[in-house]
Amino acid sequence: MCNCTAYDNIFLPKEVRIIKAKQVTELEKHFTLKMADGSKFHFEPGQILEVSLFGYGEIPIGIASSPTRENTFDIVVRKVGRVSTAVNNLKEGDTLYIRGPLGRGFDVEEFRDQNVLIIAGGIGLCPTRSMINYIMDKRDNFKKFTLFYGTQTPAQQMFLEDLRKWRELDTIDFRETVDRTDDGWKGNVGVITTLFKDVEITPDTKVIICGPPIMFKFVIRELHKIGISDDSIYLDLERRMKCGVGKCGHCQINDKYVCVDGPVFKFSEIKNLEEAL
Amino acid sequence: MNVYFISEQKFSQFLSRMIKSEHVVGPTAKQNKFVFNKLETVDELRLDYDVTLLPPKKEIFPVNQALVRFDDNKYEGCVDPQKKILFGVHFYDAKAIDQLDTVFAHRNKDINYLANRNAITLVISNIQNVAPRAAWGTVGKEVQPKGHDAWITKLANGYVFEIFTDKGDALMKFGSFEFASEIQIAEAGKLNEEIKEQCPESLEHSSEKIAEKVRKYFNKFEFWEAQAGKCFSCGTCNIVCPTCYCFDVQDKWNLDQKSGVRFRVWDACLTEDFSKISLGGGAEKNFRTTRGERFRHRIMRKTSYLNSVLGGPACVGCGRCSTQCTADIADPVRIVNKIMED
Repeated sequence: MCNCTAYDNIFLPKEVRIIKAKQVTELEKHFTLKMADGSKFHFEPGQILEVSLFGYGEIPIGIASSPTRENTFDIVVRKVGRVSTAVNNLKEGDTLYIRGPLGRGFDVEEFRDQNVLIIAGGIGLCPTRSMINYIMDKRDNFKKFTLFYGTQTPAQQMFLEDLRKWRELDTIDFRETVDRTDDGWKGNVGVITTLFKDVEITPDTKVIICGPPIMFKFVIRELHKIGISDDSIYLDLERRMKCGVGKCGHCQINDKYVCVDGPVFKFSEIKNLEEAL
Repeated sequence: MNVYFISEQKFSQFLSRMIKSEHVVGPTAKQNKFVFNKLETVDELRLDYDVTLLPPKKEIFPVNQALVRFDDNKYEGCVDPQKKILFGVHFYDAKAIDQLDTVFAHRNKDINYLANRNAITLVISNIQNVAPRAAWGTVGKEVQPKGHDAWITKLANGYVFEIFTDKGDALMKFGSFEFASEIQIAEAGKLNEEIKEQCPESLEHSSEKIAEKVRKYFNKFEFWEAQAGKCFSCGTCNIVCPTCYCFDVQDKWNLDQKSGVRFRVWDACLTEDFSKISLGGGAEKNFRTTRGERFRHRIMRKTSYLNSVLGGPACVGCGRCSTQCTADIADPVRIVNKIMED
């Protein structure tokens, strides 16, 4: 039945070294990682990792950097539970363990020579940053590139250096909004769909959405108004991906396992799957 | 492969030698129920059992299975198959094991399961007594058991022993067998067929028709909430199911707080937290919030979601969930028939 020595143990993680660790908000820490054995880490934008610390456990995390940057890769971990809190206490030079890359990311060829709109809500900027930076690094391969980024408050914004750069560059049409304003915020206030009103998005645009579950429905409604087809809308879904290899059942939506069939899905693939959105 | 016969008296001798030399697991009595256990003596084996409390999958996919052991910065996998003879499995449980073989080899091969499975010699025995809620006569009847190494059938004066693989053949050395006669073979075949008529519960429709109609019931929220009205969300239906294989992955320290183990443990999609995620700041999102949603997920999984991978439904009609559900609402046969009759 199985020549078991011919297959890797899918639960055995690899060791990675923390090259840089930076607290980016009150809850989130940005880690730059390198394989401990010095090997290159190959992945596609949108893929995930099972990140772990022995004795604490494993958590699914989207890769937050572009594969165009070859020697290191990034993750952002929000402090929410036992594992993520333990990971958040780590610093430069410490060791982490990963399994992956896992799942299906963005097929970058489908975006080639297309207008691209990425809509990221809150921590949804982390996994989409893998695609944003990929596009920015290979800018000539894409047409108009627009990025919407929304957070609840200005203090929740992440990747501030990236944001500063994106605001200045004319190769990216970067729009940002916050739900609630603090002192000093001069930008747009309102939910992320309010950003549609001042931007021209053409019906032939390829769109990537990642954010809190509630955001998807409202954004898709706006995209339909523009006339964007369900085939051109890509969703990066979040689920409890416990094993990451399509076995444990926690992330199952109908006959799909988000950790293997996704986490990136075209809307046309899942619009008839109840429980997907 | 060949078909043999062994007399009642010689069968005892055969078992005794096998138990002395190998790790043999078979059905044994536990108070007035049955469980699969390691056999220490011949008398413990109860081939007249109707159904066991837990399915024999636990011998391959244990309730709690170590995946990675760690000690400071050192760690290693735990694939460590133990050679076992799983003796006296009913055909419906063999079908369930065959399903697990498929899902654990599908896409990402899980050697933690597959290595254990490789180390098993699987011997089916004919069903002598029918469990009170059995439905294996009709549930997924298009799918035949496969992956077993031998099949024994009890006749009046002994056993017909059908060998399918080399692993099955290797059992011959423990006993004195003779070739079975045409009559004995025919009688065994008849017994295995006729018992299927005796299930107290049955499905009238094909698995394909059932999958199609149940699937169409997805959005009948009131139906599902009504079915699950008395559900305790305890997950017993999942835990006793021979085809359920969902699990959680957890870490545990040893007392030294340096070494420990990462293990998987059976989990249940009927429990409230199964698909819940934390969003941070105390916020949570549960993708199946209500009991009806979770109940529906299980029935969909049993009747339709996995059919294309498994080649049939993910239910073998053992009746364990029906019997062991505290509120007696879990019986998939009753739910499917309710939908099909509508």
